[in-house]
Amino acid sequence: MFRFLLIAMFSTALAAQVCDKSLESMPVQAGGRVKPLLVHANETIKFITGKSKFENKQALEVFCTLSLSSLGKGEALDLPIKVEHIDAKALMDMPEDSNFLLASSAINYKEKIRATLMKMKQTTPLKKELNKVWARINNYELIKNGQSWTVPLFAQDKVLWHGISDVAKDKPELKSWLEQQKAKYIEVENDSFLMELTYVKSHIFDIAMLLALLGIFATVLMKKASVGLFFGISIILVEIAGMTMRVLVSGRAPITNMYETVMFSGFGALVIALIVMIFKRDKIFLLAGLGYNVLCLFMMKFANNMLDPSISPLVPVLRDNFWLSTHVTTIILSYAALALSWILANIILVRNKFGKLSKADYRYYEQLIATSVKVGVVLLAAGIILGGVWADYSWGRFWGWDPKETWSLIVLLFYMAMLHGKYTNWVDTHRFVILSAAGFMTVMMAWFGVNYILATGLHSYGFSEGGAIFLGVFFLVQTLLIIVCGVSLKSFKSAKTNN
Amino acid sequence: MKNLNFLNKTGLCLTKGYKKIESTLGSMKFAVVIIMVFALALVYGTFMESYHGRDFANKLVYKSWWFMGLQLCMFLSILVATLNRLPVKKVLYGFYTLHAGLLILFIGSFLTYTAGIDGMLELMPNEPANNVRIEEDQFVVGYPDGQVKIFTLPTSAFGSKMYFEEPGLKIKKYLPFSKLETVWMEEDQKEADSAVYTIYNENVSEELIMSLHPESDFQSMQKLGPLSTHYMPQTLYKCFISETKSGFLVWDTEKDTCHTAEAMNYEIKSTPTNNRFMIIPYKGEYLKFFPDFSPLALTDNLDKRQDTPYRVFSKKLFEKKPNLFLFGDKTVFFHKRKGWTGREFEKNKPVKLPWMNFKLTLDSYRPDHFPAQIPTYMRPIQDQGEIIEGDIKAVLIEFYGKDYWVRSDQPLALSDGDKQVRFQIRSREVRLPYQITLDRFKMDKNPGTNDPASFESFVSLLDGRTATASEQHHVFMNNPLKYDEFTFYQSSYFQVGPDEYGSAFSVNYDPGRPIKYAGSLLLVLGSSWHFLLRRRKKRRFFEKETTIESDSGEVNV
Repeated sequence: MFRFLLIAMFSTALAAQVCDKSLESMPVQAGGRVKPLLVHANETIKFITGKSKFENKQALEVFCTLSLSSLGKGEALDLPIKVEHIDAKALMDMPEDSNFLLASSAINYKEKIRATLMKMKQTTPLKKELNKVWARINNYELIKNGQSWTVPLFAQDKVLWHGISDVAKDKPELKSWLEQQKAKYIEVENDSFLMELTYVKSHIFDIAMLLALLGIFATVLMKKASVGLFFGISIILVEIAGMTMRVLVSGRAPITNMYETVMFSGFGALVIALIVMIFKRDKIFLLAGLGYNVLCLFMMKFANNMLDPSISPLVPVLRDNFWLSTHVTTIILSYAALALSWILANIILVRNKFGKLSKADYRYYEQLIATSVKVGVVLLAAGIILGGVWADYSWGRFWGWDPKETWSLIVLLFYMAMLHGKYTNWVDTHRFVILSAAGFMTVMMAWFGVNYILATGLHSYGFSEGGAIFLGVFFLVQTLLIIVCGVSLKSFKSAKTNN
Repeated sequence: MKNLNFLNKTGLCLTKGYKKIESTLGSMKFAVVIIMVFALALVYGTFMESYHGRDFANKLVYKSWWFMGLQLCMFLSILVATLNRLPVKKVLYGFYTLHAGLLILFIGSFLTYTAGIDGMLELMPNEPANNVRIEEDQFVVGYPDGQVKIFTLPTSAFGSKMYFEEPGLKIKKYLPFSKLETVWMEEDQKEADSAVYTIYNENVSEELIMSLHPESDFQSMQKLGPLSTHYMPQTLYKCFISETKSGFLVWDTEKDTCHTAEAMNYEIKSTPTNNRFMIIPYKGEYLKFFPDFSPLALTDNLDKRQDTPYRVFSKKLFEKKPNLFLFGDKTVFFHKRKGWTGREFEKNKPVKLPWMNFKLTLDSYRPDHFPAQIPTYMRPIQDQGEIIEGDIKAVLIEFYGKDYWVRSDQPLALSDGDKQVRFQIRSREVRLPYQITLDRFKMDKNPGTNDPASFESFVSLLDGRTATASEQHHVFMNNPLKYDEFTFYQSSYFQVGPDEYGSAFSVNYDPGRPIKYAGSLLLVLGSSWHFLLRRRKKRRFFEKETTIESDSGEVNV
């Protein structure tokens, strides 16, 4: 017993010797590209356990210790596997109030999960969850078997990647050997994977968030816009730096997944807001731009369930930087402009309800909102057409009633109806503001809904997933806000006297 | 005089009527209504697409007559609204450009819709191809004399009646989306011997519907992974469980009797190469059987003979791999320890099988019915981008007084006396006047994974009209091949063998393209002009007003 303890302590000590921060820059091939070990460890441990730490150990240390157990050096840490769906918990004999099952017992349910999955023909939330749990257990086993951590070996200047358990058995000085392999990899290939380490460690979007919050306070509290403007410009610079790093890592325009589009729209909205502010000389634009920017940064930081921050290879059809950077950028910029109008509309609605807002002021702000809407509409029309041209160029079809393109057209049609309606007596100032606030729901539907609601199909419904819940809550809150602030007796009266 | 007055009046009425239509169609309110209705139709379309797939949404919404009507209304609204704002006013330049762009875009799209071709060309490796498949369903009847009749099928999303009649043949109905339902048909003849079983263990469960009836859609032999199941006539059961040294069973299909070779006193001999054989006298002939190779008699040239009533099975053949023999309410299998074992099903009691804890139950045994699969209409179900149910197209025909379903997943051949008439549902095909051959297909994968990073086709194109030698082309994503007004785009690929791929091109001919592009350009320029560049006096007015107001509070305007 004592001997066993001694060995256990000894091997843990060994792991501690190897598993320190210097490993974070080791190159690893995973998910179709080469990345630093820190990123790979963070991504996999977060995927398996839903958390980035385990027993006060950072993901990197957890990953390393578990991997080295395959070499008899680390410790076979028994990680908690995340299981959320209530039926999945029942299947794995878990109590309802626990969201985790230790890997040692989860492994015993692999057969049962597989058998259950085979019986399920249609994709239901349970099936999705079981697939995820299955992947989590597999990932855990891969790490434990020393296969998730890949190490480059070299044969005639060709890089071959092997699991660490296959190649590091007879290396007494593991760490220096790993360092050698890394140096050689940089020599043979390049060191561009290190850029990702810089990107991840810089937490650049957290800095942007801090600046944006300070900027909002400055804009609200100070009479002059100059301090807010200063913050706005510095946020733009910080975000440009962040996106540039991302571009250097991925080698493509930073607008290829939900995470990046949210990031870019926040950036774009702030830029548009500053430009419009120059013409309009009203700091409410700055406020709206900063507000939307901070919302986007919040989503990027806290909604990782829905927005995956990891960088992964693109599907072949999207690999065209020219079209990506024209079509998608235009669309996202248009969403950004419409987001500005949405924020402005909501601010005005709340002010109108709870504060003092003269009718003329109300009309003045309506004009401001209309300006953003018009910018958004022009960009959206251009973006849709660019999309058509890209589709025509890439697969010979200008328009195919695909849900994503159809929804972007629905957005355009909604705003067009609204703008045309301004020339009738159906849409007065008040209603225009309400419609601008409501219109963003169509944008959210085109942007997120097509992916999180429509793409799942009829049978995988049930608002169980992050994206669908988020959208549902958004629609609910926005509708409530419109009902509370828009449909009141006072504004009804004022609309009447207006006419 | 009166007449003239009347004419005048009707003329006035007509101009009034026209004015009325003009003012309605061209009005802003009509525009708002038609835009909103159109948008709502699109919302409906996207949800239908999500639930039921692209094909269904196209038939229900995007390619339906009422959706075309909506687009026509949009077109008219824009047209009349533009005409109403003539003669040209300088402030409206952006407006004219924008709305003219829209109108041109509509015209271009209409041209594409009516005159364009949009199809798929599938290329097998090294096989010349020129048939472009178009998403348009056709019903094809092939007569024995080589004549072919092609019927275009309705584009409705729901079942629709068809009216075609000629001697012996009626085309009655078309189901664009259906699933197969098992229906039990009554049959007095003995050959309608069918049964339903369930085979299961803790991991899987599978229903087995088996039939000996020749018209049944279910077979008498099915494979379930490594397990082969055979449905056989009752007569063979006793034979299968009889003791036999040679393992040879002789089945006389004419008399419907079965005996072991030993019971019939047939002698079993061996060739010099140790292949066992047996000879049965039949109508003055001596039939030679090599049951370890085939249950049929063989000629001297070792060709199989279908013309004798005898079948000789060698049980040895079924001992190595799992084989399950089913005889209605009885079953036989080979057990490694116990040898050939026969079991009769008892009610609700499963029979244990000797493989992977499998058990077998008899759900129903129907000696006088046979199962047929009848298409019934259903809205297709889409799951993760794939149609999982309801994707079968079916045409109901009446052929010499009897109803038959022709299905898209299997063509049908019916005999009219001694000749065969063939029926088929297929996509429309356009033949190109030149051949394209896939010489090489190249796929790169994302490192360390199996996900394709890119795929490329190297093809040769041979145009017999103009050239004798073929041209080489390299087609890949975002690099299409343009030839003779057609454009070929790398669209997808399919596996044909280990490490061998075929390539699929989408093929496109679009006469509306330049018009659409011109319209698009005008639209973008016009909207920028109209919305962003035009300076309106109003804006100044409002700005001034607020400066006054900020001092004096509320002012009634």
